[in-house]
Amino acid sequence: MSHTQDKSAALRQGVLIFIYLAALTALEYFIAITFKAVSILVIVAMIKAALVMYYYMHIYKLNAESEDDEHSYEYKTGTNRLGLWLFLLSDSFVFAGLMTTRINLLGLTRPHLDQLLGLVVTAILLLSSFFMNRGETAMSHGDKKSFMNNTLVTFVLGLGFLLGVVLVEWRLAAEGGLVASFGNPAAGPMGAVFYIMTGMHAFHVLTGLIFLGVVWNNARKNLYSARQHWGVEAAAVYWHFVDLVWIFYYPALYLIGRVV
Amino acid sequence: MKKFFSTALARGLVWQLIGTLVGAGLVTGIRAMMGLSITDTFFFTEPAWVLGAFFGVLFFLAGNGSVSDWFKWSRGIDTPEHHEDHYTGWEKYLNVSLDHKVIGIQYTVTALLLISIGGLFALIFRTELAQSQLQFLTVDMKLFGQNGPQLYNTLMSLHGMIMIVSILLGIAGIINYVVPLLLGAQDMAFPRLNAFSFWIAVPAAVLLLMSLVLGGFDTGWTGYPPLSVRAPVGVQMFFLGVAAAGWSSILGALNVIATIIRMRSKGMTAMRMPIFVWAAVATSIIALTATQLIGLSFQLVMFQRLFGMGFFDPAKGGNPVLFQHLFWFYSHPAVYVFVLPGLGVISELLPVFARKPLFGYRWIAMSSMGIALVGFLVWAHHMFTSGMNEYLRVPFMYSTLLVAIPTGVKFFSWVATIWKGKLTYPTPMLFVLGAIVVFLLGGLTGPPNATVSVDLHLHDTYFIVGHFHDTIFGGFVFPFFAALYYWFPKATGRRMNETLGKIHFWLMTPSFFVLTFGMMQIGLLGMRRRIVDYDPALGFDSTHLVLTIAGYLIGLSVLIFIYNFFNSIKNGEKAEGNVWNSRSPEWQVPSPMPVHNYDQPFEVVGEPYDYGLPGSKYVEFSSPAKSKHK
Ligand SMILES: [Cu+2]
Repeated sequence: MSHTQDKSAALRQGVLIFIYLAALTALEYFIAITFKAVSILVIVAMIKAALVMYYYMHIYKLNAESEDDEHSYEYKTGTNRLGLWLFLLSDSFVFAGLMTTRINLLGLTRPHLDQLLGLVVTAILLLSSFFMNRGETAMSHGDKKSFMNNTLVTFVLGLGFLLGVVLVEWRLAAEGGLVASFGNPAAGPMGAVFYIMTGMHAFHVLTGLIFLGVVWNNARKNLYSARQHWGVEAAAVYWHFVDLVWIFYYPALYLIGRVV
Repeated sequence: MKKFFSTALARGLVWQLIGTLVGAGLVTGIRAMMGLSITDTFFFTEPAWVLGAFFGVLFFLAGNGSVSDWFKWSRGIDTPEHHEDHYTGWEKYLNVSLDHKVIGIQYTVTALLLISIGGLFALIFRTELAQSQLQFLTVDMKLFGQNGPQLYNTLMSLHGMIMIVSILLGIAGIINYVVPLLLGAQDMAFPRLNAFSFWIAVPAAVLLLMSLVLGGFDTGWTGYPPLSVRAPVGVQMFFLGVAAAGWSSILGALNVIATIIRMRSKGMTAMRMPIFVWAAVATSIIALTATQLIGLSFQLVMFQRLFGMGFFDPAKGGNPVLFQHLFWFYSHPAVYVFVLPGLGVISELLPVFARKPLFGYRWIAMSSMGIALVGFLVWAHHMFTSGMNEYLRVPFMYSTLLVAIPTGVKFFSWVATIWKGKLTYPTPMLFVLGAIVVFLLGGLTGPPNATVSVDLHLHDTYFIVGHFHDTIFGGFVFPFFAALYYWFPKATGRRMNETLGKIHFWLMTPSFFVLTFGMMQIGLLGMRRRIVDYDPALGFDSTHLVLTIAGYLIGLSVLIFIYNFFNSIKNGEKAEGNVWNSRSPEWQVPSPMPVHNYDQPFEVVGEPYDYGLPGSKYVEFSSPAKSKHK
């Protein structure tokens, strides 16, 4: 895999990966509503995660050789990149802890939710990741205008996901009887688990949106170039990380187990 | 005084107060509009206190200036790469500095302050324990909305967590000061994050102390539900304080790892890094990742209290044992976060004072990593009596016993390093040797607790308390003091008084043996931990009296240390050269350390610990002409 592709090849690759991810997401949904094989769902999620980490988050860049001069922008970007990935590693322990909570308390059952709505919000988030990738690719080739347009689309889709979960999904779930309790003893742990998982994820989406707003604004001020755009890269990697978490949370909440 | 109120510390504290009132006021206002109650036992309602405490931390950080550079960056404004400190003298340490040496000292002094507070709490409840029956923490007394036994519970719980935070700050202090110097770096990889990590610990400490006056909490430092679900509002301050201190530890660890991977000087391959650097890596791996789980476990209890979410409530289908799994996933490895840097200090200093190469460098380096990694697989040994699935007991017993192997490697190396060495005994060396002996006791009393059949008897007794204090004194307290006596001249250009140092050592060490042996003895006989009173018929009165006296003597020895520490900054004997005749790079330049560390970069040309081998060299400083930096 060459890492210094020309722009159109990089964009083509982004499209290809998006098609893979979309196909796998559809496959997941199909498996879930037909033969309910949990192990296959886990494997599919892991493949999706690997694709996102490699092609969208460029985890291989951690290994990139940088020149010796510790004061160069390039060397510092390498250090920053390491710092960001360490942060994501740390953060993923929160999400893993919540996943453990879900497995421990719910086992092979899941909350009563609209699976189609779940698929729709998942598709929106995946699509936003695709545009984020396009934006970052544009910036790394010095195309500021395209970066700003793509980031704007990412932002709108991200906001759509956030509102879709917090306004639409939470309301529908609550109407369907899934409450976080507030003193309702009949609620069981189902609602608590659902709201804490989607809530923690939504909080990260929100911070990601703020991050996107910041780099968009700084791009507007011409602060990034093809060679120097660490802020853009960081925002993109963080945004893909939010998508990465959802790759596991979506099947855990919408697909795996029988409805109670 | 006027100067004090203009410091970042004072500004932060004022902003924390404002933030607390804003947050609490906000919730109170909303509740008033919703027609809910707006006051409670401690004036504000619990949700109001929680948001207030949260806002308090945010306001502290925004108000004291430790995040202002990041805000500037987000608006596209660049800030200078290297800040010069505007302040001199003590003011430098009460203001935001990006210099890792200043931050290291800020961490260390804060740690000493918290150790004193945590120790004071211990002395208060130890005094009550000197005799059976209740003497002064009686049922009739009232303080901060608590009666005597409740206050005992709060002090006992806070002693635990305040000491834990002080340890985290203490190791961060030593690592911050020393690691960049050992690597030959100008600073940490992320100086602003470094300052942030320190400053967030300050409001964290304030929150922990706030819990004392808001009704306290009676859960012990472990905060198990259902007890923590029923405790007064103070437990929420405790949760938030731990969360803030946790972020301090997480971000500090992130910085340490990035610094060590990216900022080593030329020639410093992995196997030529100072052993303390290896220890810092191992400890940081745990702190970076596992710390999130204690934060999460407390957060879930917090949400259970605020929103009635039934994570740990069996009546709602929740599972209290789940809490213990999440909690101990951090809190066991946390012990290795506390002791690995200390064990690194032992390995780092021993060859200096034995004038011999460190025995088995590679094995020591790998044993630190081994302890850190195995440490992730042992947490449920705290839960043998919890009612978890019984088949889990045996694997966790064996994984725990496995920790003894890398730990044993360290002891072999230390003994072999001492063997036929030309030992000298200045104060730091005394504390190193003390650490080895005390940690050996801590190590030897560990496997009995790990063994299921024995642990069922020992669980929740004073035996555990004695064992634990042995590991922490051996793995942290003694090495911490050794490190402070050792690197003090580097930071100040003066050395601490040797006579007082020796008095400190010879007072603390025997008292400490009496304390923990006594604890383990009555523990074996059935003395329960964490309780305010015990049956006189058990016959523990005289032992408890001795334990209390020993506790006071340890307190006295630490006071002597603190006096020596602050007095020597001004009045200590001048020591600007290589006082300990060390090979390490930081001692090859004059003390106190210059602001930007090394004027000339150095290159590693040999093994770090080849003491006594003629002609061997660890580092070589490049001559000014050859230097390509600056
Ligand atoms: Cu343990």
